[in-house]
Amino acid sequence: MTSYLLRRLPSLAAVLAVSSVLIFGLIRLVPGDPATTLAGANATPDAVAAIRHQLGLDQPLLTQYLRWLGDLVTFDPGRSYIIGGGIGALVGDALGNTLLLTGSALLLAVASALLLGPLWAGTRRRWLEHLLTGVNTLAIAIPTFVLGVALALVFGVLVPVLPAGGVPRAGLLADPSITAQYLLLPAVCLGLPVGAVLTRYLAESLRTELSKPYVVTALAAGVARRRLLFRHALRNVLPTSLTVLGLQTGALLGGAVLVEFTFSWPGLGLLIERAVTGRDYPVVQVLLMLSVTVFAVLQLLTDAAHALLDPRIRLGGAR
Amino acid sequence: MNPALSRRALLSGAAGGAALLALAGCTSAVGAQNSGTVKKGGTFLGGISTDLVPANFFTNSNAGVTTIIGLVYESLIRYPVDRLRPEPRLAKDWTISPDGRTVTLHLRDDVTFHTGRPFTSADVAFSLRTYADPKWNGQLKSTAQAITSIDARDPHTAVLHLAHPLGNILDLLEIVPIVDEKTFAGVGDGSRYVGTGPFVFERWSPNSRLKFTKNPHYWVPGRPYLDAVDIAVITDATPLTSQLRSGQIDYAYGSSFLDIERLEKSGKYDTIQLRGAETQVYVGTNVTAEGLSDVRVRQAIAYALDRDRVIAEVFRGSGYTANLPWPKTSPAYDAKLNASYGRNVARAKSLLAEYGKPVPTLKYSYVGKDPLLAATAQIVQANLKEIGVTVALDPLDPPTFVAQLIGGKFPGLWTTYHSWAQYTPSTLTVSAYPFNALKNTSHYSSAAYTKDADTAWRQVAGDGVKAREAYAALSKDLLDGLFLIEIGVIEGRWAVSDRVKGVAYTKRSELVLTDAQLTA
Repeated sequence: MTSYLLRRLPSLAAVLAVSSVLIFGLIRLVPGDPATTLAGANATPDAVAAIRHQLGLDQPLLTQYLRWLGDLVTFDPGRSYIIGGGIGALVGDALGNTLLLTGSALLLAVASALLLGPLWAGTRRRWLEHLLTGVNTLAIAIPTFVLGVALALVFGVLVPVLPAGGVPRAGLLADPSITAQYLLLPAVCLGLPVGAVLTRYLAESLRTELSKPYVVTALAAGVARRRLLFRHALRNVLPTSLTVLGLQTGALLGGAVLVEFTFSWPGLGLLIERAVTGRDYPVVQVLLMLSVTVFAVLQLLTDAAHALLDPRIRLGGAR
Repeated sequence: MNPALSRRALLSGAAGGAALLALAGCTSAVGAQNSGTVKKGGTFLGGISTDLVPANFFTNSNAGVTTIIGLVYESLIRYPVDRLRPEPRLAKDWTISPDGRTVTLHLRDDVTFHTGRPFTSADVAFSLRTYADPKWNGQLKSTAQAITSIDARDPHTAVLHLAHPLGNILDLLEIVPIVDEKTFAGVGDGSRYVGTGPFVFERWSPNSRLKFTKNPHYWVPGRPYLDAVDIAVITDATPLTSQLRSGQIDYAYGSSFLDIERLEKSGKYDTIQLRGAETQVYVGTNVTAEGLSDVRVRQAIAYALDRDRVIAEVFRGSGYTANLPWPKTSPAYDAKLNASYGRNVARAKSLLAEYGKPVPTLKYSYVGKDPLLAATAQIVQANLKEIGVTVALDPLDPPTFVAQLIGGKFPGLWTTYHSWAQYTPSTLTVSAYPFNALKNTSHYSSAAYTKDADTAWRQVAGDGVKAREAYAALSKDLLDGLFLIEIGVIEGRWAVSDRVKGVAYTKRSELVLTDAQLTA
């Protein structure tokens, strides 16, 4: 296994090296740079040139690239030009906030699916089925930003029982009950469509499962429908539902950008939006490189898992 | 009784009870916010739409910077917002020599920085020199660079020696915040802001919030009233307004004009109209472009613009139309000159007929993500269509727009804001690049404009009779050249809840809370 991983390392390094060149080059092809952002609309060309010099942007591209590469390999991501502060701290704080938000949303989505999926599949009341179908369709169809604004308006303004956005003044760790209240609306907004997709998938899978011969036989033998639903059918459909959950988690991370913006939640979405808008090269580069690295390492781990399960891959004999 | 139903009811009841108990045991986030605002003293809660950019400390270009400067720092003198009549601040009094080359400032001797260190003339010298450093891109750096030396031998007297008379020297002394040399390194990375003002900077969390506490040793007796200030960064106007309406914050800087109008109508919010801290919206022209190179075409555009509609519909009446950059509070303001180009479609068409050639399609650039500029551009496009000039809208993102603005790369027209006309008029022509006489975005040059801009700058007294004559000449140059076609003077608006009284601002829209109080 170790030798398999060692064989894969050069390709991982190559992917990262090529990605670093592309990331560094592409962001510089976009018009405008950090110096013009910092200078503002009233500045003179001389002032822009002075800022460019101060930031080292007037040096040859190769020099700038090598300096950045040096920072990366020494795990010193440097400082932000526009936002200010160390990039490590900026990304660390934002990542923690995003993980908290997406984790909460995922929790809500899974809980709602486990509650409503079996209810939907097992109910014999037509009105309840219609209600669940309607609500589910609405939850999938309504755009995140519309839902976010509506939630903030209803629960933050019209019936002000929850904060309309932002984070607790004393910090996220100071009082969990306050943090939970700040989290609730953005987490519902982010988790609702994912929960709806999961619920629908779970309900359909359960219906299919409940129509199988073993269930019909068990029902005929007098086994309670609820017992069959929860003890047998649900257990059988959960593994495939987990695959759907995995796919939806990706959508959750993507959707977090909009939700963070709508609720002023200071996570990675807000950070990258601000960095790209301001042409904050160091921050954009680090965030993109981080994303490539995470993806490449996950791919490596997936391949390693396959290799672990299949000796032909591990030993390179399946050619 | 059905035992299954009974069990379900029991379980449901238990779950509901547990949820109610949990809710009752929790502190309400909404309640916690309100409980901090009902007592005198207390914490002022606000929201701003643009975060601090540490590198922009001296550029006055975003709400994060103006909030910090307004709360933490003070300048040597201060203008009331509605006029250019200097009042003492850290300088008790000052004199300008008859030849205009020496300014003597007598400083207060009872002021300390937040670190406890006494404020002296050396701090004046350090602050002005730092402001003049090109790396900070201060808008009045050319004025600061015209200070040849600063005599700071007496700790309570600063003597500025100037290369030539500077009609806007008092503007500089009003604008430059007095900073602490010992801790100034922290300004560059946003970690430390030490001034002499009413509030002490506590912490900045990027993309999240700014925190301040009361300066217990503030030199103004009994001030400030507030114990602390907490400003949240809320980058989108909709959640910013929602948080104000929900009571999470009591002050919003960045809500849309339409939202503020609605808030005001509700009767629960006050509007602070930033009169004296105006910005201007204008149409810029590249005078080397085909068609635009002829002043008659530029005049035709000026006559075609429906300025009233822009002010009424886009800026919800928060401002007034203008043909010149000067607001009504400026010594250069002249109502007659300001009405030189009223809307006159017939006149515009006749000017184009005089020009005699078809005007090619003009590219019209603006910042696409700014809804106000986008709406303005659409109205201008419709106005120009009426006189037979076709405009192709070109929405850009902010860095691209600024790069083209500073690089003089706009192929035709553009629309954006400018500021600095609320100060001594010469400040505009030496600080705002679009108005720069020697090199500007429009590629416009005129010997008369260059001479008159320089004459206005070199006045001994910025509000004297000769200075006013120089400003009149400058206004004439701007109307004759018409390389920038003004649309209107815009007065920004802040929304403040009725729980807060005494919120004020400076001519640079800096937040001032020295006299602010929270009420029940």
